[in-house]
Amino acid sequence: MNILTLNSITKFYGQIHALNNVSLKVPEGSVFGILGPNGSGKTTMLGIVMDILRPTSGTFQLFEKEPSANSRKQIGTLLETPNFYPYLSAEKNLRITAEIKGKGFDEIDDVLQKVDLLKRKTSKFSAFSLGMKQRLAIAAALLGNPEVLVFDEPTNGLDPVGIAEIRELIKLLAIEGKTIIMASHILDEVEKVCTHVAILKNGNLITAGSVDEVLVNEDIIEVYATDINKLLEVIRSLNGYSNIKTTTNSIQLWYPNGIANLEDINRHCFNNGIVLNHLQLKKKSLESRFLELTNN
Amino acid sequence: MLQLLKIEWLKIKNYRTFQILAGLYIVSIFGINYITHYIYTFNTHMQQANGMVKALMGNPPFEFPEVWQTITWITGFLLFIPGLLIIISITNEYSYKTHRQNVINGLTRSQFILVKMALVVIIALASTLFVFITALIFGLTSGGSGISFTNIDYVADFFIQALSYGSVALLFGVLFKRSGVAIGVFFLFVTVIERMLSSITNHYFDGAGDYFPLRTNADLIPFPFFRPIVGHLVKNPDTLYLLICSGVYLVIYFFIIKRKFETDDL
Repeated sequence: MNILTLNSITKFYGQIHALNNVSLKVPEGSVFGILGPNGSGKTTMLGIVMDILRPTSGTFQLFEKEPSANSRKQIGTLLETPNFYPYLSAEKNLRITAEIKGKGFDEIDDVLQKVDLLKRKTSKFSAFSLGMKQRLAIAAALLGNPEVLVFDEPTNGLDPVGIAEIRELIKLLAIEGKTIIMASHILDEVEKVCTHVAILKNGNLITAGSVDEVLVNEDIIEVYATDINKLLEVIRSLNGYSNIKTTTNSIQLWYPNGIANLEDINRHCFNNGIVLNHLQLKKKSLESRFLELTNN
Repeated sequence: MLQLLKIEWLKIKNYRTFQILAGLYIVSIFGINYITHYIYTFNTHMQQANGMVKALMGNPPFEFPEVWQTITWITGFLLFIPGLLIIISITNEYSYKTHRQNVINGLTRSQFILVKMALVVIIALASTLFVFITALIFGLTSGGSGISFTNIDYVADFFIQALSYGSVALLFGVLFKRSGVAIGVFFLFVTVIERMLSSITNHYFDGAGDYFPLRTNADLIPFPFFRPIVGHLVKNPDTLYLLICSGVYLVIYFFIIKRKFETDDL
């Protein structure tokens, strides 16, 4: 089942084209990262799904049904900033959330414990630090143990320990089989926790799919030799590479992360009568892949 | 709806500004009437010897049955306070972005705004209840010929008036979103702008200005003092027309409020 399906969603803010014809599917049980620079349309997209923004055109489905308030009750959402009543305590704020979602108050202590705020449950929201506010928002999203969670920049404002904790929490939720939709501009974050990823740039969906497909994280070995044709022949008899690309005067060998061995390649070529004049390992990082995808 | 009102109650129950303003409002309902009563009795006492006074003043305004009209008319001046409460209640949601969070968490947009409309009705009912009690107290303590519910329809008219002030406040809150602007415009509208427009219209189009939104409500309860003279000088518009107009305006306010909240980006 697809948790979320977007069909050609377009959104204009006046003249600004925030989303352009975006279609994608979020499969059940995935940790779906929405990656993109600031202002690329991530929050707009999630805002439309949560019915706080109206799409200019296009439709979407939640749980393969027309979206409704009831489908939103089954999703725990943190969108953009933690939004709470500043004059109310953490606990009273969560009571309002629980009332809206139609859940009991008995889970409130549990979720506060999960984000390490139980001791501060009677403190007013306005007295919280940014990181605590963010954690309260995550607690609110966890209320009612929803099967689907939507996190927009979940580690925003957290200190390194907090960031690690939230990532652990997300991984734990993923292991429990929950579907998590997470928007982020931090590549590292997506790489560490996501199974699927969609990349947005200026409102256009550049690519979407499983992390392995989209963010191929491979080692590339570049080799040159004077006789490029002979080199290619020799290289082909090597084991373990996943792909070969040739340009006019060089050959690129693609290896799955970590198994490439430069010495072996050098020895293999030399034993087969080829002397290399260039042998270099290039780490293809997520970052360069992301930049490659977003800067065309 | 009960569930929705419970949520609204959780929001305002612990909100200090709301508590203070609501408390002061209730005290003020009694206070403003007490002051007027004090000035009135002081003046009439001074001129007691003059037989003309009785003829000028008409029946004693703080005795039954005139007290219903007097108290509701005087309290009408305080209706900007519940308006303020309503503006705060809606613009707070905008500034905390909790209107978004409520919808994200699973309220429909219609539910969210219907509760605010219900709040307008509840505050209008509460105001009316306090006005009723105040009038009863003044009536009972002012001597005269015992309790009477003649003219009690002024209390109903007051309810319509309170409802209109509250709806205009909610409308301005939804339109302007920021509390400062909404409160400023609401206050100016209630005190100056509408009266001005109404007077200008009245000058050029005979009597049409009396049918401006809040004028129609205010005119439901005529000036309660110097009744014998005022009755000759000022021709009040027909009550039935005023009630119909008030109803039409209320429908228009609620329609705009609901439509705006349901279709806008939040």
